[in-house]
Amino acid sequence: MAEAGRVVSLPARRYEREVARLSKGAGVLPPGRRLSDEPSGVVDDWGRDPGVVRRAMRLAGLRWQFSTGGATHLPKRTGALIVVNTRRFALTTLYTAFAVSHSVDRPVRFIGRSDSVPLGPLEQRLGALLDHPDEVFGALRGGELVVLGADPTARPREAGLVDHTIVGAAVAAGVRVHPAATTSSPFNRFARVEIGKASRPPRTRRGPLVELELADRVRDDIMFLLDQMGDINTGTPLDLLPLGGLGGGR
Amino acid sequence: MAGRRVFISGVGGELGTLTASLLEEEEWVGSIAGIDADPPRRRLMRTDYHRIPPTEHDRIVQTILQFDPHVLVHIGVWEPHSRAAPDLAKMLTDQAATSILGAAAECPSLESVIVRSGIEVYGRGPGSLSRPAETAPLSPTCQWGRTLAAIERTAASVGGRVGVTVGPVRFAPVLGRHIPSPFGRLLRMPAVPFRAFADPPFAVTENLDAARALVAAARNRLSEPVNVVAPGAITALQAARRGGRVPVPVLGPEWRLVTGLNHLAGAPVPPHVVETLSRGRLADNNRMEELLGTTPEYTTTDVIDQIYGWPSVIRREARVKVA
Repeated sequence: MAEAGRVVSLPARRYEREVARLSKGAGVLPPGRRLSDEPSGVVDDWGRDPGVVRRAMRLAGLRWQFSTGGATHLPKRTGALIVVNTRRFALTTLYTAFAVSHSVDRPVRFIGRSDSVPLGPLEQRLGALLDHPDEVFGALRGGELVVLGADPTARPREAGLVDHTIVGAAVAAGVRVHPAATTSSPFNRFARVEIGKASRPPRTRRGPLVELELADRVRDDIMFLLDQMGDINTGTPLDLLPLGGLGGGR
Repeated sequence: MAGRRVFISGVGGELGTLTASLLEEEEWVGSIAGIDADPPRRRLMRTDYHRIPPTEHDRIVQTILQFDPHVLVHIGVWEPHSRAAPDLAKMLTDQAATSILGAAAECPSLESVIVRSGIEVYGRGPGSLSRPAETAPLSPTCQWGRTLAAIERTAASVGGRVGVTVGPVRFAPVLGRHIPSPFGRLLRMPAVPFRAFADPPFAVTENLDAARALVAAARNRLSEPVNVVAPGAITALQAARRGGRVPVPVLGPEWRLVTGLNHLAGAPVPPHVVETLSRGRLADNNRMEELLGTTPEYTTTDVIDQIYGWPSVIRREARVKVA
């Protein structure tokens, strides 16, 4: 009979307790909180509005049909920097943040917020951060997933330079840096985000050289992922046209 | 460690009184003394209160030297339009800081100085960080921020000269029951202004959490700045909706009119509150647990709900009816 009154702790309950513990202990909202649990009518510590994000994600669903691969490489609770290749005017960081957020059920932020009205506040509501290493360091240390766009390029299978100061912020915060390849096209809805395993610096360094080498390694890893995605490659100027978006929804 | 003497400047204010009452329960605290221009808001059992206005330098210095504290908790700051007009508040704050910190420097037993500061010291200029950490540079953009930054500088200079630790505790706007805050007053008005097309987020601190943080800072001999901010954030529009107030969109130039009208209605709006509403005010509180060993009990939303939860007039039946 004594067994009848015993309370069985299921893993889900343990998760809730852990979230409550983290919430109380860290002084901030728990880093592992679920997207679906976020309350409406308030903003989070960084000014991101879950209600606005949900509406924007529904709106983005009309434009893009996301598919995400490799989300299991990302840490479940701690922060990570996700570096993606970008194309001009393609809103790559925004849809990558939405796609990854939807996939891992966690809020994902992206770098590149304007500081002027009305664009800046709107981007802040969507989860954007200022392009400043200290701002990114604070978010990563707080356990957030942050998307950084490499410099935009004209070629779909290339990644531009990666801002080493932001990578330095990730190194200082002690979080992993993940490469991610993205393809999308202005002519169709398919958009794919493929996240790779965390990049590692080629050699151990004690000084700031580590961030430069890691930034270069991440760029190489993104291009490797882009090659693996097998987008159009004819060796002609046709390659410059944004006809890709392979893999999205297929 | 036990039997330490703690001196509190600004013990008459709500935050000072709360801090004193919490310090009275601490085992490491031997005797407590405090000064202020106004008496404490509630009964203090072990604290010696000295009623001295901040202009009486000689009496302040004499009182502090006589007490010879181990720990000085400097809470004696006047927020503009909380209990004094901005110019008077600045003058009183400067005078109190000079005499109190100056006197503390002469005390042979002094080990630590804890200074009440605010996240206004980071400023909200163009390109400023959304959520500055303690390491962010100080570039205040309002008078209140400049006043607090000046107190931090004075305290750091005193600490450096006499070789004691100085711990500035940077609070988000402190709200709560009985706190004379211009921000709290504005949010409780029937109509609350917010910046149209921006409505930036801000965070606040509950007064009991603030007092607990000051006590923890004194206990741990805080030696570096720490941000004390309630988790979460809210915007003025969201706050007005939660409180059932009428949100009034303001584009920019009308702020002067809005502040004037509020002044007439009994809730003057100082520039740092206008800055909070138009540029937002957040700060990183991740180091609180590491440096203070405590975390806020109330979230920003809880604090906002609390200020709207106060009844305007409490009517109580008389215990004995005489008429």
